[in-house]
Amino acid sequence: MIYRETGTFITSYIEDRKLFPIPFDKWAMALFMLFMVFVIPFIASDYWLAAHLIPILAYGTAALGLNLLTGMTGQLSLGTAGFMCFGAFFTFNIMLRSPEWMNLPLALMLAGTVTGVIGIIFGLPSIRIKGFYLLVSTLAAQYFALWFFRSYPYFLNYATATVTLPDHHFDLFGIGETFDVDMASFEAKYLLSLGIVTALALFAKNLMRSATGRNFMAVRDMDIAASVIGIPVIRTKMLAFFVSCFYCGVGGALFCYAYLQVLGIRTFEMNRSFEILFMVIIGGLGSIAGSFYGTILVYEFPILFSWAGDYIFKGAFDTAVVDNVAKIMYGILIIALLIREPGGLAALWATAKQKLRTWPFPH
Amino acid sequence: MAAGNPILQIDNITLAFGGVTALNGISFDVAEGEICAVIGPNGAGKSSMLNVISGVYVPQTGRVVFREQDCTRKRPRQIAQLGMARTFQNIALFQGMTVLENILTGRCMKIRSTWIEQGLNIGRARREEVENRRAVEEVIEFLHLQGIRKTPVGKLPYGLQKRVELARALVAEPIMLLQDEPMTGMNLEEKKDMSCFALEINREFGTTIVLIEHDMSVVMDISDHVVVLDYGAKIGDGTPDEIKNNRDVIDAYLGVTH
Amino acid sequence: MDFDWVFFIEIFVGGLMSGIMYSLVAIGFVLIYKSSGIFNFAQGTMLLFAALTFVKLTEGGVSFWVALPVSMGTMVVFGILVERFMMRPLANQSLLSLFMATVGLAILIEGFSQYMWDSAIHGLQLANFLDLALLDPVNMTIFVVDYVEWLDILISKFDIFATIVAGTMILILAVFFQKTRTGMSLRAVSDDHLAAMAVGIPLSRVWALVWAVTGIIALIAGLLWAERVSVSFTLVEAVLKALPVILIGGLTSIPGAIVGGLIIGVGEKMGEIYLGDLIGVQGIETWFSYFIALVFLLFRPSGLFGLKIIERV
Ligand SMILES: Nc1ncnc2c1ncn2[C@@H]1O[C@H](COP(=O)(O)OP(=O)(O)O)[C@@H](O)[C@H]1O
Ligand SMILES: [Mg+2]
Repeated sequence: MIYRETGTFITSYIEDRKLFPIPFDKWAMALFMLFMVFVIPFIASDYWLAAHLIPILAYGTAALGLNLLTGMTGQLSLGTAGFMCFGAFFTFNIMLRSPEWMNLPLALMLAGTVTGVIGIIFGLPSIRIKGFYLLVSTLAAQYFALWFFRSYPYFLNYATATVTLPDHHFDLFGIGETFDVDMASFEAKYLLSLGIVTALALFAKNLMRSATGRNFMAVRDMDIAASVIGIPVIRTKMLAFFVSCFYCGVGGALFCYAYLQVLGIRTFEMNRSFEILFMVIIGGLGSIAGSFYGTILVYEFPILFSWAGDYIFKGAFDTAVVDNVAKIMYGILIIALLIREPGGLAALWATAKQKLRTWPFPH
Repeated sequence: MAAGNPILQIDNITLAFGGVTALNGISFDVAEGEICAVIGPNGAGKSSMLNVISGVYVPQTGRVVFREQDCTRKRPRQIAQLGMARTFQNIALFQGMTVLENILTGRCMKIRSTWIEQGLNIGRARREEVENRRAVEEVIEFLHLQGIRKTPVGKLPYGLQKRVELARALVAEPIMLLQDEPMTGMNLEEKKDMSCFALEINREFGTTIVLIEHDMSVVMDISDHVVVLDYGAKIGDGTPDEIKNNRDVIDAYLGVTH
Repeated sequence: MDFDWVFFIEIFVGGLMSGIMYSLVAIGFVLIYKSSGIFNFAQGTMLLFAALTFVKLTEGGVSFWVALPVSMGTMVVFGILVERFMMRPLANQSLLSLFMATVGLAILIEGFSQYMWDSAIHGLQLANFLDLALLDPVNMTIFVVDYVEWLDILISKFDIFATIVAGTMILILAVFFQKTRTGMSLRAVSDDHLAAMAVGIPLSRVWALVWAVTGIIALIAGLLWAERVSVSFTLVEAVLKALPVILIGGLTSIPGAIVGGLIIGVGEKMGEIYLGDLIGVQGIETWFSYFIALVFLLFRPSGLFGLKIIERV
């Protein structure tokens, strides 16, 4: 009797901890992923891949990284683009200076790891410095990264301004040559990014629903109580910096390799850090899916808006106008969301789903 | 419950904030397995005392010995690892998390799996998650928190939040439990529940309890030992009966000036 | 090797002067932080907005004497709007949310001011203006002629002027806070919101006032800064440079903002010239000030003058 009872308990706990407790969600997600993998590469044009899907994946990775640090662990950061910069440059240098057997996914992981370690270094002050004071440290990271790669042209292989990333960097285990497929095509780059982003998002999701994730949130919500409970506050903060910067580094590398196709320092100016911060705030601080919702909105809005200008108002808006209107829109959206729904788009979506579930009989 | 050897020894603790002396040469012992009440008017230094014991404040002089180990300069986490858990006067729950998540954080010291295993959700990490969940469910049942597992703690009424905080402390299976005003601001019913919980925890698990409480009838009812603080000094230390008849304590409470 | 003392002093004085400019920006931050606990990230774009408003007015032929009060009025209206539509609805949110809101405000102002007044880079020859408008309309020599020489040291005249203006502003603010009724109520608010409300200080009016005053500071700082970095997005980045200043000083202290400004101003210049030489690389000034601030903060986590708080539980 007792045995059986425990047995059912265990299954119910596992049941309770499932990623998708509602079967419909699970199937919807599975279908969505199948569609992304097997349909999109065949139906999407190069324009759609290169100008929409790939950049969203790259931005999304960095946004997720920032969200792990700021949204989950409560450590403010304005250095996202700096960490992306480290990741991109390290990936390039690993690919450039390694023997034949090196491949891009491995290089991304290595570069991410090194970026994570750099993240820990810039995160060390968080042991003593709290809250807004920590902004100094992440800003230092941002400007230090730019300065460093500008001062040591070795890392850009002595190119002026930018290097074009060579196609052979994309080959995996000689597949390209053996089977005569173009591994540097947009389809291949898209699938590579999709694979990496999916893996990283899943990892983050698992992390957040386990002890480590709870430690992150505990440190965010009240670090004194966390330490009294026995949470290793310092180790938790350092881990958050490591994981976050790993993601940002990989995001930065994808940004150059898959999206821009060139590597240059100007890609990672301060503005980029802000852009990603907007994505995270709008999408929802502390939400993994939200990081991607925010990315899509912030990335697509100017494109949609200028498209609307072209087709509806016959080319009425020049790029400066689009740019400024987008900024105004983000600003209003951020303030309005913080007033109405601090959880951002992710929370709006959750509420909408809840409504849908009880529809048409809300209690 | 029969009092055993001292499990906690407070020896000549002095703590000052700038000009304010919150604790002035305080010494007392807490015996293993007892319920010890710390009482005194507001600002007497009771919370500061608990903060010194749990490592949140570092005293200027004196020693805190817990389970024969000097804890005076230990970090809160190290003290927690020795088997100390506590609740706070102003609820210190993690506001961004649900009740279940909050209580699960109390199990953090039992985690052996690494973050990589947890991120990959494999082997040990999965097993631990289930084990911890079972421990949490036991406590949830014990404190009657079943209906609110998935509720964000911020949405709960005050009394329930206090109970969730107690759950988070209990789930760590502490040897000693510190409670800072667990019943303040509660109605009679809730107070009765809370004092029952304290007694049950003490009897069933043999947990030593130090609690701060203002309601004298509760204190006299449940405690084995009472320590009285006033203006950072200890003015009484003994059984509830002794305290009841202590001149200084009566004066302090009735505000008699000498 | 002969140490070049004249050069050293020149750099030192230059550092001090830019330090005072940093302080002026930092005071804007401190005001808002003190009164509401908000770290106002929009301070930089407020500078841009104010300076752009002024530049556009004068470019449109409005005289200095009209443009200045009109820009000031604009900033006051701006302060009231911010209080009404952002601060009040957000009053009970966490400090992180409030910070994020000011980030939103920053991007909103940036987009708005560039939308209204194009995003071209504007030169602002405040020196010319001043000579034309007030001091020396005929010869234009007081500000436009660039340097004065003093004991072999060359100092830019405009820098001297900017320093005097910034210094005066700082003094006025200090007196305002210490001596006037409004200033005192502001300090009361910063000490304890609830208590301030209990004694009948109208929080929202105080906040509106603070934002308006901060707007005026932004205008003056913006005009002075614009001379060096021109009116464009660089102005916003220049303000990020003021961040270490406030943090060194401690977010809550006006004297802190001043001392912090001086430390960063001098430290940055000295670091660039002497440390840069020493390690043989250029351009470390982009991050050096943050490192100075970090070193200070490691020893004093809440800044030099910030309140040292032992968190209560
Ligand atoms: N973190 C702190 N910073 C400054 N003063 C403190 C702090 N904690 C406690 N105090 C002071 O110490 C004294 C005792 O406070 P406390 O221990 O909270 O009293 P009690 O819990 O008995 O009401 C009070 O005067 C209080 O103001
Ligand atoms: Mg107390």
